[in-house]
Amino acid sequence: MVTFALIRDTFREALARKIFWVLFGLSTLLILFFLFLLRIDIVSGATATVSLFGRQTGANPDVDRLVRGVYGGIATFLYTWGMFLAVFASSGLVPSVLEPGRIELLLSKPLSRTHILLGRYAGNVLVVLFNSAFLVLGVWTILGVKTGIWSPTFLIAIATTTFMFAVLLAVVVLIGVWLESAAAATMITVALMIISPILAQTSLMMRLLSSEWSRNLWRVLYYSLPKVYEVGKMTLDAIQSRTFGGFTPIWTSALFGAAMLAAALAIFARRDF
Amino acid sequence: MDSEYAIQTHDLTKVYISRWKRREVRAIDGVSLQVRRGTIFGLLGPNGAGKTTFVKTLLSAVRPTHGTALIFGRNASQPEARRPIGYLPENHRFPTYFTGAGMLDFYASLSGVDASRRKKLIPEQLELVGLSQWGAMRIGKYSKGMLQRLGLAQALIHSPSILILDEPTDGVDPVGRRQIRDLLEGFGQRGVTIFVNSHLLAEVETFCREVAILHKGKVALTGKMHDLTAGKGYRLTVAQPSDVLAEELRARATSMAVRDGMVDFQFPSRESANGAVDLLRAGHCEIEALAPTTSTLEDVFVRTVGGENAQVRNA
Repeated sequence: MVTFALIRDTFREALARKIFWVLFGLSTLLILFFLFLLRIDIVSGATATVSLFGRQTGANPDVDRLVRGVYGGIATFLYTWGMFLAVFASSGLVPSVLEPGRIELLLSKPLSRTHILLGRYAGNVLVVLFNSAFLVLGVWTILGVKTGIWSPTFLIAIATTTFMFAVLLAVVVLIGVWLESAAAATMITVALMIISPILAQTSLMMRLLSSEWSRNLWRVLYYSLPKVYEVGKMTLDAIQSRTFGGFTPIWTSALFGAAMLAAALAIFARRDF
Repeated sequence: MDSEYAIQTHDLTKVYISRWKRREVRAIDGVSLQVRRGTIFGLLGPNGAGKTTFVKTLLSAVRPTHGTALIFGRNASQPEARRPIGYLPENHRFPTYFTGAGMLDFYASLSGVDASRRKKLIPEQLELVGLSQWGAMRIGKYSKGMLQRLGLAQALIHSPSILILDEPTDGVDPVGRRQIRDLLEGFGQRGVTIFVNSHLLAEVETFCREVAILHKGKVALTGKMHDLTAGKGYRLTVAQPSDVLAEELRARATSMAVRDGMVDFQFPSRESANGAVDLLRAGHCEIEALAPTTSTLEDVFVRTVGGENAQVRNA
């Protein structure tokens, strides 16, 4: 009951923030676009005619490639812009709960501090899970009905987007309880997103870096920081039915997220308010 | 919950250390206080005396540097020890996305009140604090006094055994203050322990049965209100009495204070005050004023925390 109340409170606060409605609105617009404006007619077997805003496009593309291309585009949108907006919107959710006059009241309740913070964290992850599921399931259902292609791999985007958001949210929570600054939480988390594609060039950097210690430093950074880019690429590979090179980006990112969350809980448990 | 005391602290100390200068500030320093179950207790003190820090250690929002704080015999740091507490913070900041009823629902659920009871209790509590018409309204629209009433409803909704109230009537108009006081007195009569942290001395005096005054982080005075304010008598104000007359009156009075060319003599009884008036009449000395006095909590407070500044000489 208590956990549910904490999660519901996070939902309420998230919905009170306009940026979550922007995210939700963009998802709805995309769904409406595929529902009303994109028309796909199967011509014969694997080819189709595609109409956009009522006008037919030039070539008759392969239906399966077309659908997978749309899936890839949606997954990329969700994983990049969706994630960025979600991080931006979530950055204030922890500092807001630590405000004087609010935190004392929460702490006066028969709850452990761990429970309070994890409830907040879980609520935030669920908000993003809900939005990701709304967009992906919406587009998947519409394209499935229009083309008859029901590729379940697209649904992986819900899991990977939510997973990576959960990892990044752990950083937001840590910075939030440590510095009580939404701006700092956003900056650091977005920096991790930006640095990720650079760190992913490990094999190239191993050749370019001249000294062993610099290569070791790169390896430490690569394995310790979350692999936003690589998990996103894995998602696209899965959707496009391409092979990908193992689950290391997943478990190393999960470890990073767990470490950040543990640090946040430790700081929160010791703080005076 | 079988402890005789609702609150017990022993040698409770909180030292804040500034991060860069390594300077120590003792917010509370060895505070040992016992609040009996069922009493109405007032905590007083000047600004910076450590009252808020003390309250926060009871709620485990502040971790004591050393010493212990017990709520009904359980260490306040245990979440379960806080179950019987209803708390109203000073300068509360309730999330404005809540409606009044939604806010009560949230905090009641955190206190372990199940959904069916919440459904029954929320309208009752809103009625109790005079907000029954406002339950569906977002609290961003509430006035300060209304927020204070809602905060009180929040503190009461789970039927707590102890209420810890930080400035409970802050921002409330005089009629509302009276209503809140009556409401709390009702809870006090039903055996709920009420612990009030307030700077409104007159309110604490009329409402609380016991009081403690914190000064510079230490307990400067503690006792029953009746005992502390027992010093009744009469104050006689005289304009420029002769030295001989002043000396004679001082010998009869319990205290004498000089201010702006006037001399105040405090007499313990009507008889002694009448005797002093006869003496002044015989000496052809002007009487400026004669008034019955009680030793108010304010007198006690000023004597306790501001004694070094008072220009009062003992007779």
